[in-house]
Amino acid sequence: MRIFVCVALLLAMAPLGLPLFAMTLLTEALILGLLAMSLDLMVGYTRLISFGHAAAYGLGAYASGYLLLHTSLPLPFAVLAASVLAGVVAIGVAWVCTLAKGVSFSMLTLAFAQLLYAVAFKWTSVTGASDGLAGIPRTAGPFGVTVFQTKNGYYYFVLVCLLGAYLFCRSLVASPFGAVLRGIRENEAKTLSLGYNTRLYKIAVVAVSFALGGLAGALYSPFAGFANTELVFWLFSGQVLIMVIVGGQGTLIGPILGAAFFMLLEHVLSQYTESWALFFGLIFIGFVMFAPQGIWGLLTRRARA
Amino acid sequence: MDLLSFLLVQCLNALSQAALLFFLGVGLTLIFGIMRIVNFAHGTFYMLGAFLGYSAVRVTGSFWAGLVLGPLVAGGIGAAFEMGLLRRLYKRDDSAFLMVTFGLTLVLGEIIRLVWGVDALQVQVPDSLSGIVFLLDEPFPVYRLFLVAAGAIVAVGIWQFLERTRLGLLIRATSQNAEMVHALGVDVNLVRSGIFGIGCGLAALGGVLAAPLLSASLGMAGNAIIDAFVIVIIGGMGSFPGSLLAAILVAFVQVFGTYYFPDFAMAAMYLLMLLVLVVRPGGLLGKEA
Repeated sequence: MRIFVCVALLLAMAPLGLPLFAMTLLTEALILGLLAMSLDLMVGYTRLISFGHAAAYGLGAYASGYLLLHTSLPLPFAVLAASVLAGVVAIGVAWVCTLAKGVSFSMLTLAFAQLLYAVAFKWTSVTGASDGLAGIPRTAGPFGVTVFQTKNGYYYFVLVCLLGAYLFCRSLVASPFGAVLRGIRENEAKTLSLGYNTRLYKIAVVAVSFALGGLAGALYSPFAGFANTELVFWLFSGQVLIMVIVGGQGTLIGPILGAAFFMLLEHVLSQYTESWALFFGLIFIGFVMFAPQGIWGLLTRRARA
Repeated sequence: MDLLSFLLVQCLNALSQAALLFFLGVGLTLIFGIMRIVNFAHGTFYMLGAFLGYSAVRVTGSFWAGLVLGPLVAGGIGAAFEMGLLRRLYKRDDSAFLMVTFGLTLVLGEIIRLVWGVDALQVQVPDSLSGIVFLLDEPFPVYRLFLVAAGAIVAVGIWQFLERTRLGLLIRATSQNAEMVHALGVDVNLVRSGIFGIGCGLAALGGVLAAPLLSASLGMAGNAIIDAFVIVIIGGMGSFPGSLLAAILVAFVQVFGTYYFPDFAMAAMYLLMLLVLVVRPGGLLGKEA
């Protein structure tokens, strides 16, 4: 807990010391961190390998973008509404996807994300088709609060969302609910025979995960000012999965580090070479082969040794 | 155009599309059925095939040479990848394969971009296949008829290979019980490398054949991998006849969907897949999931 407070304070002081472009990167890293952490609930704690988490992000991004463009809803409420929408849609998605197990589950989530991608591509009046939604404003908050409209103000908004989500996830996985999730991860048949309706638990965790992933997306589109179909594309789903694995699945903190590492690596590599995807793929393969516990696993193992 | 000739042309279109989808799906389903591996890089091998085919045609001047060389080289790369990396992961859970092959997708995609560049490359078909024929007074490209024939030949070929040859027998046995096959003195690892190579080679064959229609481009892999997964899931993971049936079904949905509901054609395929999964979670001809 002490470390948590230290890190939170450090992040809160970041705008004092960092130049503006670094703050932009950091804000995006925190948003992606929130997304990766939400996926970790499924992948790391329940062994539900979702290959369609971009669906949650895209849903949130489009929904908040649409609300900000076409209604006068204050920004925090638009973000919240988008997050809730993603969670509600997830219940339906999960109901179908949990009919299957293992690899079939992964493929179904992929199919759902692609279905959404197709919808985003075709539903021109709402999603703007291939152009996406552009010029999404950071509107003023309720009661005339304008703090979200500045870059640093928005950073604090994102930071508060991430810290809140982290504390929520941590208490969730420490709760009896979290224990059942880990039971499903280790041995679903056994958990079922202990009297837990594992399918309901799985649907619940997908809904929570999507709501938080939707929150990340909802934070992204006012930050970037746009939402486009790339946010729903399968390649992005894969990248989020990479962040979770590289960071360290089943640790919550790890995926956030993974997302930051991903952002930093992409930023640094793309300065030196156009082929950053090549090195990226190699690093990722290296992690899966030799360090399945990820960055966080490596850090904590060293700390213990 | 009267109804009969319209239907004939559309059905042939759908069948030629089905042939391409079948090449994609059958390799993936063979690999899954035998190795329990989801090869995320399958679409990339399809794309690799298209580019290799382009180069082979340029160097040798013969489309037929590309049709042989592309799959051979891609299959070799696939087999080498299995021996070098995947083999070390058999004791880990399924997700490790999914993720390593995803990494391979990035690496291979980037290598293809470095070697062949970003432009779409047009592949010429030989003169004997480039004309049109008239079916019930409607013009139809010969190349699409050739695709239908190629699909049928490969389907029968794979079926006979699995049923009649010793290697086919070993492959089927390995998919049933790898440990027992190993105990009987067969090098199971070699069978696995072989089947991974064959699967990737089949995808590449599809890529070479698709290149004259779609031209070889960097966008191929993304669409292909999704199509391949849809085929495998609808047909049933690991089921060879299932992949054939699913390829035909999906192709008809795509072709007629594009004609009647152009706005929903993209979604139709996924809806079909969801429908199948809700009714039969293991796929049409698969074992229950």
